[in-house]
Amino acid sequence: MNTVTKTSAARAVAASKIYGSGDAEVRALDSINVEFASGMFTAIMGPSGSGKSTLLHVLAGLDPVTSGEVFIGEIELSTLKDKELTLVRRDRLGFVFQSFNLIPTLNALENMTLPLSLGGRKVDPAWQDEVVKAVGLGDRLGHRPNELSGGQQQRVAVARALLSKPEIVFADEPTGNLDSRSSSEVLSFMRAAVDNFGQTIVMVTHDAGAAAYADRVVFLADGRIEAELMNPTSATVLDRMKQLGG
Amino acid sequence: MWIVTLKGLLGHKLRFMLTGLAVVLGVAFMAGTLVLTDTIQVIFDDLVASVNDGTDAFVRSNEVVDSAFGEERNRVSAALLPQVRAVQGVAQAEGDLQFYAQVVDAKGEAIGNPGRGAASFGFIWNPGRLNAYRLVAGNSPSAAGEVVIDRGTAKKGNLRVGSKVKVLSQSAPQDFKVAGIVTFGEADSPAGASVSLFTSEEAQRLSGALGQYDGISVSAVDGVSQEQMVRRIDAALSDPKVEVISGATLTKENQDEFTQQLSFFSTALLAFALISLFVGSFIIFNTFSIIVAQRTREIGLMRAIGASRSQIVKSVIAEAALVGILASAVGLGIGILLAAGLKALLAGLGIDIPAGATQVLPRTIIVCLGVGTFVTIAASVLPSRKASRVSPMQALRSTGSDPMKQLGRRSTIGVVITAVGVGSLLYGLFGNVENPTLFVGIGALVVFLGVAALGPVIARPVSRVLAAPLPKLKGMVGVLARENAVRNPRRTASTAAALMIGVALVGFITIFAASIKNSIATAVDSAFTADFVVAAKGGGPPVLSGFSPDLAQKIKEVPGVGASSGLRFAGAELQGKGVFIIASDPATSTELFDVQPESGDFKQLGIDDVAVSSDRMKKEGWVLGQRISAKFPKGASTLKITAVFGLGQQAGLSDYFISLAGYDAHYTQQLDSQVYAKVADDANPRVVGREIQKILKEYPTAELLDQEQFKATRSGQVDQILNLIYALLALAVVIALIGIANTLGLSIVERTNELGLLRAVGMTRRQLRSAIRWESVIIALLGTALGLVIAVFFGWALVTALRDQGLSGFVAPIDRLAVIVVLAGFAGVIAAILPARRAARLNVLDAISQE
Repeated sequence: MNTVTKTSAARAVAASKIYGSGDAEVRALDSINVEFASGMFTAIMGPSGSGKSTLLHVLAGLDPVTSGEVFIGEIELSTLKDKELTLVRRDRLGFVFQSFNLIPTLNALENMTLPLSLGGRKVDPAWQDEVVKAVGLGDRLGHRPNELSGGQQQRVAVARALLSKPEIVFADEPTGNLDSRSSSEVLSFMRAAVDNFGQTIVMVTHDAGAAAYADRVVFLADGRIEAELMNPTSATVLDRMKQLGG
Repeated sequence: MWIVTLKGLLGHKLRFMLTGLAVVLGVAFMAGTLVLTDTIQVIFDDLVASVNDGTDAFVRSNEVVDSAFGEERNRVSAALLPQVRAVQGVAQAEGDLQFYAQVVDAKGEAIGNPGRGAASFGFIWNPGRLNAYRLVAGNSPSAAGEVVIDRGTAKKGNLRVGSKVKVLSQSAPQDFKVAGIVTFGEADSPAGASVSLFTSEEAQRLSGALGQYDGISVSAVDGVSQEQMVRRIDAALSDPKVEVISGATLTKENQDEFTQQLSFFSTALLAFALISLFVGSFIIFNTFSIIVAQRTREIGLMRAIGASRSQIVKSVIAEAALVGILASAVGLGIGILLAAGLKALLAGLGIDIPAGATQVLPRTIIVCLGVGTFVTIAASVLPSRKASRVSPMQALRSTGSDPMKQLGRRSTIGVVITAVGVGSLLYGLFGNVENPTLFVGIGALVVFLGVAALGPVIARPVSRVLAAPLPKLKGMVGVLARENAVRNPRRTASTAAALMIGVALVGFITIFAASIKNSIATAVDSAFTADFVVAAKGGGPPVLSGFSPDLAQKIKEVPGVGASSGLRFAGAELQGKGVFIIASDPATSTELFDVQPESGDFKQLGIDDVAVSSDRMKKEGWVLGQRISAKFPKGASTLKITAVFGLGQQAGLSDYFISLAGYDAHYTQQLDSQVYAKVADDANPRVVGREIQKILKEYPTAELLDQEQFKATRSGQVDQILNLIYALLALAVVIALIGIANTLGLSIVERTNELGLLRAVGMTRRQLRSAIRWESVIIALLGTALGLVIAVFFGWALVTALRDQGLSGFVAPIDRLAVIVVLAGFAGVIAAILPARRAARLNVLDAISQE
């Protein structure tokens, strides 16, 4: 499994997440061990209920683990209080959600700089120019989300995630609501972020085509890691899914 | 459909509790007022009935003047008494007198609360059935120098039978021995009033009514009805200036007089209750609007599966009706409890209301439930119509706030409504109409509705201006607060409108009071040329109180006092019109007040002369030397205008001056309201002041003031009333704050996703709370800004309209208005506490994953 030689940006050690108790007990994550290397684009796949979203939430400090440990860099999340977790999210992590990614009252640029302004940090203008150029919104930066297309909105969300130079970006089905053309725009943007800026990205998806943009695919089922695939293509991903799905 | 309605209610209990609270508070205020006044009314009716219990007929003068000071009636000759007693069927007949008599205890303190409590009365002690009091210690007064006092007074002054007391009346202060102590039925005193009872001769002497009575009470023998008694006495008396009425009529008259006074009090309180409900209606309107917007999908779905438009309307209205009925019922219950509490409060203030069952009349229940429910339903009509316009297609689209449509039309409607309101208000104030209060009241109401209708149009720009410093101050949190406050101008505006009403009224009354105080100061500065004035502590009640002319006489005799005069305020009818008159010593008055004499000789005012302001002369078209008809308590008369002066009512004085000798001739009771003194040129004012203070030791109800102190105490009295009105308006403001909290709470539910996202990308709880707090502050300041604009307009309009009544000019007290703004800001912070806490507690994961 350890073909990755780079340092790890995030990892889970024997992480379990259990909902309910007794007969109603659901093991969303079952003592999972996984590591995400810096500068790599990883996709997490699996059928619904496999625990892929839970894994993402746990890694991102949005949901505490029931047992085990979760690290962002060298910070162990389960010992942190809400305030500290919030600051980790703000300063070290980036997020892209499936929908409702942008604050409707803020324009595109304000949305992009939101985590930085919440932290009272100044944006590095050179970096901002670079990201803005890459996001390809041109003159629409002053527009509010409802004046942008779905693809544009998601690209703004990715740009927001990149702008604070986080250690890792978590994306939860970022193209789930998009048509194929918009999807490829967003995914190419994410790919470019990894290639050009050395960004680490972990993305949950159920779309083999999306997963093909990643460097590595981790397959989950019943809260466990069932398989992994390096340098995937749509075909190899679909193939593996078929095998797993039985 | 009904099940949907019911489920809707049960599904949002908290939301409806908050909405209901707005109605509950208003209705409770209303119910409390009605129950309290009904209770007082019944207690007082019983009290009057028991006072007059033994009276079958009453003989009195038919010469009466009804003025601002109440009804003043002439006295009758004591010679009537034997004539009445001689009438067949009369069991007992006694002369009555009611006059000012204040008991002073051994420490020299006036007993009771002469400044603002119940009045102090002196009466003749009558034996037998004509006496409403019951001796509980000692004996009836049987000689000069003896007094019987009520048990309340005895307790307060620590007095017992045999104690020596001083009694202040219109005669010089005198010592009396307490001969006995009485109760009024079971109560220590009648409604907390101080009562002293004297022999007939003593009473006549103290009230300056030698050989006279206020009237004669008659008790008939068994078998003679009140009507028969009245007819027989009427037939036996030949005096055309005397009338005879039955005991029942007397009771009815007394009760009606009290009802009238009470209704002034209850109308005022009810007005404030209605203001609270009016404010509450905005909150109901707002809640239902937001709920309808949030339920667009659900309503669309119901339309899709076959619900008709009218069914949707009915369902929303039914929901409102249920909330209205429930809230009104709860409000009614709280109001009844509140009335008991208010009664206790009044007792604490020295206004002791005798024990009596709390009166919850069917009228109270019907009115409270009816008004509360009506307000709720009326406020939900527009939201329900909006709900009915939801198309089935909207079930499929996502919810979300409706964009601003038809702003142009809305501006036009808002401007038209506001203009109509302003027109009605100005017409009421300046149009010389029969019932100005009605036009002014409705005008004010319509102005509020008009500005509220304009609200959504002005909310965005005004909020942006108000919130302009926020982004600099609070960074991204400030930006978010500002944007959230303006994102739904309709909602922000109607939330702010509720506070606007409260602030407008608070601001208006503040401006009005400041203008009054300024007028007082101006009047005192321009007209007050005396060095000292002796006035009643705390202002004192306007009727049946004051100082014996003995005080003015003693002050006149103080070495170093140059000019001095007692001053009396009186009501009379001149040329058939009720007017306010000042009586003073004309020889010295021009030295004490600069009334700016213009023509004639002010100093030579005789008994049947009157000085009239030049302003009034012009208005009435009178000329110097003209005779005008006058009606006083002591009968009709003709007055000659012998002087004209400059500073009349417009300057805060009176348009009419008469001499003290004239007052003496035309009025029964002789009490000075104030005494003015000017120090002689060669005397030391400090020494003279000390000498006057010595005299005042005998007059514990009086205080010595110089010009500045006099201004200050008058301003203080205005402030007292101002504070009372603030207290009454507080409820309307509180309801508006509940409205802000309610709107924020509902908005937060709507913004769950967004808040979750903010938290996910790194907004701390503290930052989130701060953003909501500032949003609340912006809404509160928007309401305050609109309210203050209206307040300035109302204040200016009323002050201008009352220019003839002695208001010299419009004053907007910047400092006080600034305090209102600051307090409103803090109020916004308070209103945001619960919504902010709730938002901060949102689980991030739940919030972002919620659809």
